[in-house]
This record gives sequence, structure tokens and C-alpha cells, in this order.
Amino acid sequence: MLRKADSNFLLWLIGVVGLAVPLAAAAQTAKPARWDGSRVTPVHHIPLKDEFGETIVPTERNPLPFSARTTCAPCHDYDIVRKGRHFDAGRFSPAGRPGEPWIFVDERTGTQIPISLRPWKKTFRPADLGLSGWDFTLRFGRHFPGGGVAEPAEAEMGPGSRWGVSGTLEVNCLGCHNARPTQNPSEWAKQILRENFRWAATAASGLGEVGGMSSRLAPTWDLFDGPNPDDTEWAVAPSVRYDRTLFDGKHRAFIDIAGQPGDGRCLACHASSPAEAKKFDFEEDVHTAAGLACVACHRHDVSHAMIRGYEGEGKDNPAVLSEEFTCRGCHLGGRSAAGKKVLPGRLGAPFPKHFGLPKVHLDRLSCTACHSGPIPAREPGRVRTSRANRLGIYGIADWVQEMPAVVEPVFMKDTNGKITPHRLFWPAYWGKRDGKEIAPLRPEEVHEAAGDLLYPEKPAVRILTALFYAADLVGVPVLVMDGNSYSVNLDGGLEPAEFPGGKKGDFRWALKVDGEIRPLVPDFDPGDEEAAAEPEIFIQKLLEALRTAEAAPGEPVFVLRGYQYKIVESQVEKTESPDDAGVAEGRFFWLGDGGRRPFLPDFERRTISALAGSGETLTEEQVRLVLEALGREAGAAGRGGSGDFVYLASGKLFALDGRGAVKAENAEAAEPVAWPLAHQVRPARRSLGINGCTDCHAATSDFFFAEIRGRGPLRSRAAMLKPASAFMGLGAPYHLLFGASFAVRPFFKIVLGIALAAVGSVLLAAFLIAVGRGAGLIEKRR
Amino acid sequence: MAVFIALTILSVAGLFLRQSSLRFRAATAPAPGEKEPAFSRPAYLAWLKRRSRELRSKEALARGWTALKAWTAARYPGPLRWIFIALSASFIWQAAGGFAFAFFSPRGIFGLPLLVHVGSGGLFAINLAAMMFWRARDYGFNGAGTASFEGFACPVFKSLSRRTLGKAAFWAFAFFGSVQIATALGSMLPVFTFEAQRSMISIHRYGALAVLLSAVLFADLVLVPFKSGETNASGDS
Repeated sequence: MLRKADSNFLLWLIGVVGLAVPLAAAAQTAKPARWDGSRVTPVHHIPLKDEFGETIVPTERNPLPFSARTTCAPCHDYDIVRKGRHFDAGRFSPAGRPGEPWIFVDERTGTQIPISLRPWKKTFRPADLGLSGWDFTLRFGRHFPGGGVAEPAEAEMGPGSRWGVSGTLEVNCLGCHNARPTQNPSEWAKQILRENFRWAATAASGLGEVGGMSSRLAPTWDLFDGPNPDDTEWAVAPSVRYDRTLFDGKHRAFIDIAGQPGDGRCLACHASSPAEAKKFDFEEDVHTAAGLACVACHRHDVSHAMIRGYEGEGKDNPAVLSEEFTCRGCHLGGRSAAGKKVLPGRLGAPFPKHFGLPKVHLDRLSCTACHSGPIPAREPGRVRTSRANRLGIYGIADWVQEMPAVVEPVFMKDTNGKITPHRLFWPAYWGKRDGKEIAPLRPEEVHEAAGDLLYPEKPAVRILTALFYAADLVGVPVLVMDGNSYSVNLDGGLEPAEFPGGKKGDFRWALKVDGEIRPLVPDFDPGDEEAAAEPEIFIQKLLEALRTAEAAPGEPVFVLRGYQYKIVESQVEKTESPDDAGVAEGRFFWLGDGGRRPFLPDFERRTISALAGSGETLTEEQVRLVLEALGREAGAAGRGGSGDFVYLASGKLFALDGRGAVKAENAEAAEPVAWPLAHQVRPARRSLGINGCTDCHAATSDFFFAEIRGRGPLRSRAAMLKPASAFMGLGAPYHLLFGASFAVRPFFKIVLGIALAAVGSVLLAAFLIAVGRGAGLIEKRR
Repeated sequence: MAVFIALTILSVAGLFLRQSSLRFRAATAPAPGEKEPAFSRPAYLAWLKRRSRELRSKEALARGWTALKAWTAARYPGPLRWIFIALSASFIWQAAGGFAFAFFSPRGIFGLPLLVHVGSGGLFAINLAAMMFWRARDYGFNGAGTASFEGFACPVFKSLSRRTLGKAAFWAFAFFGSVQIATALGSMLPVFTFEAQRSMISIHRYGALAVLLSAVLFADLVLVPFKSGETNASGDS
């Protein structure tokens, strides 16, 4: 029983603690974000804190990962930072002009859908595709710096997510601001894939080593459950082992902070490069070459309201002084968002004289039209970007994906009406049409309906895999078909390689030995018992191996010159087969109830050959078959028929006509999704127009008349094809005429010059006479 | 552009009012005991209305056409008349196109009309040069004529004769025409900076206004007889 004095003391203690804790917390988080004037980045020798605000002691057993929210909070207001452009998921910062969307890619179904958390035109919201914040984080977190949808409040954690296991993905401050060379974007991506969201920042920064995978843990696992002592092999809970050399005796860690991050941090997510370029051939931005960093122009304060640096950003986002950091702002001077005149030459930007450039060019073109991106060619070039093609993630697995095919430069009008170079890609997806609306199908739905139609290589892979394990086989089994040889790759797919000497119509199973293609079964005469003895043993081994092929539809048989070989009770049985007397090269078949079936059916053979080495993943025949399958499935469920389903790719909509054939139509939903490109800026001497007007104004100009063909996962001749001028909203005939006029312009200038000289000389003579008369000189002479 | 449009409207209207009021004065008899006819606004407006009705008549147009043919036949005989025709046609096209776009298009002239504008500018330049060679001598300043600017307070203008003014209009047309050629040529050459290019466009625009005003003045003074039976500014009846 407590005495009254004791109970009073206890109440007092509770009151003091109750008041002190929130006050202390408020004191920690409410520091005003005001620059004191010092230009020194403070040394960050600070205690690391976990997500509960507890100081991390690296020597403890199973320390938790550090949390940027609690570690950085005493000095930096996390709630302000998380509203910054990179993290807020479009909830707080204005959308501004379109940027590169996230692209939902599924190569097998030929799906590439633009997704954005911002309301940009032609992009889908994640929810349109049934993607939750969890799905979005898991899919795109590899290049996402945390916060926003990746850091949901408890009420926002929907069913089906595993936030309870993975933790949320807090804003990764060190992703940009860690100056240590150990900061590793690849490690970040791997941790995301392992669903180790709360551990990702610790692992990627190099502050500690993270083991285990949340993705293998039961959905009921909790952080406080800790490691599972019964499973140290598979479902290993994530844990951290901190680099103790970074900590002092007071458990403070030295974090090497860069107030202004280096370019490498930006390029981890924002790099782009021509798809076919060699690394040594790549030319960096002229500003980088001049010593400027990305953040020299793309600035922000603690609000992390990034200056994107496009013209008109001041109107979209009055909170930033962005007009001063546009091309014009630095090079020409301009008016800031506040309407204040700024001087040109910021950061030493040279003032362009633009000799001979008619005014209309600066009225109608963005600076980047002439100065940025690759010089226009007959066809825009393919470019890979970090986020679209998963660049910059290194490890045993190959993360780079060829889809989507982003191309540049395509000149189009920007939101300010000026012609600006863009990157673009053509969305591709299966959809259900309802009037003019097309709702995209998720790849899982397509897989379910299409089945093996999307896996034409499967039969060949099964056979090659089975042959690979045949006894006494020297070399790698390959399929030689239509000028290519195919072998099985590490991902279980078919890898085509050009086969010198191969031709269309070739089809045989073979062996690749030291780069040389040899027959799988050397030629022999089955009628010659003595000579056939050894090959028949080899055939038996092959047939035995083939019997083990996955999903084998029958017994494998080998046929040659009127004889058939088949395994019967572990022995090869050789029977006469007069129908095969004309088979001069050995052939394999599956023998089933319905008779012989080819190892590789015609549909699979056609599809593999058509797609080999093209980078495309679907044929029109597959589209037809999948549309039929989708229709059948929907019909069975009473949800419509084949005619309701479409496939969009390469700028066209593909649907079945009344006769069941695939027809291509134009459709707004199939139009490309574009976003302006700003880099790489070329030196002035390599700008468009440096050689004169005919760089663009010529009848054969690539600027106006490049051919832009829709690209996508579908191999089709029906792809969209337009001249570059159509993308600019300009008439090709006029620019053809205008360009042609430059052929006579030199002559025209000479004529004008002579006329001017003639008129000028008469005027001069008249003027001199008038002056002479005025001065009385002429009369005097008379 | 708004300044240019306002200036164009004001200057063309001013020229029209000035020239028409002079003609009105010439057509009006002075009151008894007065040396000069008094200017009455109602009478002027009535005269203007009557005069515009007269000029719209078929007879007036036919008379004007005959007078123009006679004038050109005298000065541009034989193949030379094509110089006058080409110069006039190209000038009218240039002025119509240029001013129409300046007035009604925020971008100014562009596209195919610009291409034709530049092309016909070449024709204008060649014919202006040819006219200067063959006919500039006709517009030398010698001899005096009837004073045209009596209403002006400025003694310099007051003493200018219509003939002198007509000649001045010719030289102004030639000078500003050459400015037009120079600015058009200059903007095609890769020698001027962007700022210079922009200035040249402005000069070209205001030069066009000056050419237009001088052409109108020249036509009024030289081609249209001032009073019935009176010689025009070039001395022809």
C-alpha cells in the first residue's frame, strides 16, 4: 500500500515526465530551417537512432537499422523534407511539366504502361492497374528514394501488403547526401527486392552489413520477433552488423555528409545513354565538362522543392526561383518568377550572340531544340534510362531490361508551346474496350488466359535441357533454325546466335563444340548393321535423355533412311519404317496415341524464328491467339467476347475483325508518351544550325523529315509511321518548300545585294549633289 | 506591336486628313475679302463625303486609270513600263501582306505568306534599283512650284511646294525602300547578332510604314491632279 506522500510524489513524477517527454520531442523536431550564414557543412558526428528513436549501440546483439526520420530529425525537419519533390509522390509539390514516368514492364506479355503518381497526361495512376503502395514500392523502389507511397501511415496500409514485415521505406537521406564511396545504389535495389525496406538505407550506405530476407519471412513476422533460431538457411530474418570503426566510444557515428551531392548520386536514378553507344564514346553534358555539378542548377533548400529548370516553372511552382536557373536565366538573363530582372552570365554562363539567327527561332524553339540531346538522324535513336531500363544495378543477376524502347530526340511542342526535343515511348498493353475507354489488363490476367501462347520457346528449351544431360554428349546442344542457332540461357530462355552459313528453312538439332556447329547424330547407314552399331548406342543415350524432358507429350523416336529408333524396356528398338525411306537427315519426333508429333510444332517454330534477335516479344499471330483466348475466357465467365479485347503497341490498336483476323487501327490510347529532354547539352559549336540554316531547312532535313516509326514489343508492319514534322504539329509540304528555297537563297542574296548597291549608289549620288548644291559647290563649278 | 499599330493608324489617318484638307481648301473659294478660304469642319466633311462618292463612280475610276496610263506611258515607255508595273505590284503585295499580318497576327508574318513576301521583296528590290537608274534624274530638286503647306506654322514646310514635296516623297520612298532591302538582306546573313537581328526586324517594320506613307504621298501629289486643269506636282497637266 502506498503512503499518501508516496502517491503524491508518483503523481508529480508522472506529471513531470508526461510534460517533459513531449516538450523534449518538440524541441527535437521544431528547429527552424534557417541558414545561419555559414558555408561550412557541419561534421556529422552523431548518434544513429532506430525507428523508435533509441540510440543504436553497434556492439549490441541484433541492433536495429538506423532510421533517417529519427536520426536526422534533431536538426532537419523530416516532415518538411518528406514533402520535397523526390519523395512526396505528387501529393504536395505541383506536377509541373511532364517528366519521365515510371514504366510498368512485363516482357512476356508485351506490357509497358506509363505510370505516374503525378497527374500527367497519358499516364496511369498506380491504382488504375491495381497497384497498391506496396506493389509500387516493390516494383519501382529500386530507383525510388523513399517517402510518399513507400512510407504509408498505418491507415494507408492496405490488405495484401507486407509493411509489417518489411517496414516502411523512409526518405533515404544518405542516398543523395552520403559522401562516402560506400554508398551503393545496387545494394539499395537488392534490399528492396528482398523486401528489406527498413534495412535498405543502412545496407546501401555502407554503415552496416545487412543479412536475411524479409520476402522469405511469414507475413506474421514482426521486428520484435527477431531472428529465427530454427532456420538459419532460408527464412532468415534481416539483421544488421554495423561497421564499428565508424563509431566512437559514445556510440556516435561519423557520417560523411555532402551538403551538395555529387553527380553520381543523381545519375544513379537519372542517367540516360544511347542504347548502342560504347561507354568510351559517350559525351557528357557540356556543363559537366565545364565543372558544374547537377545541383549547381537543380537547387533546393530544406524543403527539397527541386528546381527542375524548365522555362515557365516559376508559374507552375511560384515557391522556387526557377526562372533564374533556366537556360535563358543563366545565359540571357530573364525575369524571375517574382518579375525581377536578373542579369545574364550566372555561374560564368557565356552570353550567346546567335549570329544570323532570325528572331522566330527563339520565339518558337526551346534552347534545348538546338543545344541538347543527340543531333537528329534519319530515325530517332534508342536510349536507355536508369528508371525505364533498370540501369546502374550491378550484381550476378542482369538487371538491365531492353523494354521499353525509349527513343530520342523527337521534337514536339512543350507545354509552353515551344518546339522542344523529347524522349518518348509507345505504351503497349492488353486491354478491355468499353466504348472509347480502354482499361488495361494486368499481366497476370493475360498470363492466365494465354498460357503457353506466350512461351513459344518452351518446347525447344525442354528438349535442349534434356539433351544437355544426355550421357557422353560432347558440346552444348543447340537448335539450328532459319539461319540462327539457339541455346538455352541462364534464365531458361532461348539465346539466338547468328549461324554463319545457315539459311531460311534450316531445322535440325545439333551440337555446338568449340563454337562450331556439328550434327547431333553423325550421319550413318542404319542398314549397315556393323557401321550402325556405335551410332545406335549414342541414339539410345539421346532417346533416354529425351524421355526425361519436362512435359514430354509422348515417347521420343529417331527416324533415318527408312528406320525408326525407339526405347523399349530400356533398350533401343530399331524397326523398319518404309514411309521414312526418304529421310536422309535424322529427325526426332514424339510418338503418342495420335501418331508422331514434331518436336517443335509449327506455331512455336514460326514465332521463335520471327522474334529471334529482334528485341520484340510478340508476333501478330500470338496477338490473335491471345485475343481469342481472352475472349473465350471472358465469354465463359459471361463478361463479353473477343471483340472487347485489344492490344495496343507501336502506336496502333490491334483487335480482331469480324473474320477473326487482327486489324490495326489508330487510337489515342496508343499514342506515344513523351517528356522533354534537357541533357546532354552539347557545346555551342555542336549545336543545330552551326553549319547554317540548312542544318534544318533543307528538303532532306532530318529535323523535319526524320521517319518516326512506332516501336514496341510487337513485331508488326502496321506500326505507326510519321514524319518528324507531324510530331511538331507542322505541315511537311510547307517545310519541304521552305527547305527547298534555301537552294536559291545564295543567288537571292546576291540579287538583293546588287539591288541594294544600285539604289544606295543613286541615293548617295543624289545626296552628294544635294549637299553640293546646298553648299554652293556645284553652282560654283558651273 | 501595339505601338506600331497605333502609329500606323495615326500616321496614315493624319496623312489622309492633311492631304484631303489641302484639297478641300483648294476646292473651296475664299469668302469675299478673305485671302484664304476659311476651314469649316461641316463643309469639309460634306466635301469628303461628296468626293468619296465621286471617286467611287465608274467614271472616276476610268478617268484615274486613263490618267495613270498616260502618266506611265510618258515616263516608262515601251518595256520600261513593266518596271513600274512590277514595282507597284510587288509594293502593294508587300504592304498588304506585311501590314495585314502585323495588325492581325501576334506572330507577325509567317509561313507561306512570309515565303512569298520575301520572294516578292526580291522583285521589289530589282525594280526599285531599275527605276532609280532610269528615272531618278526626273526628281531632281530644281525650280519652284505652288506652295503646299501654307497651313503650317513652320516656315520650312510653309515654303515647300507640292512639286518639291512630290519629289521628296519619291526620294523618301527610295531611301526607305533601300532600308527595307538592307534589313531583309541583313537578316539573311550570318553576321549580325541576335539582338541586331531583332532590331532589324523593328527597323524593317517601321521602314515599311515610312515607305507606305511616302508612296501614298507620292501618289497623291504626283499622280492625282490637284485641281481640275491644274498641273500635278511633276509639272504635267
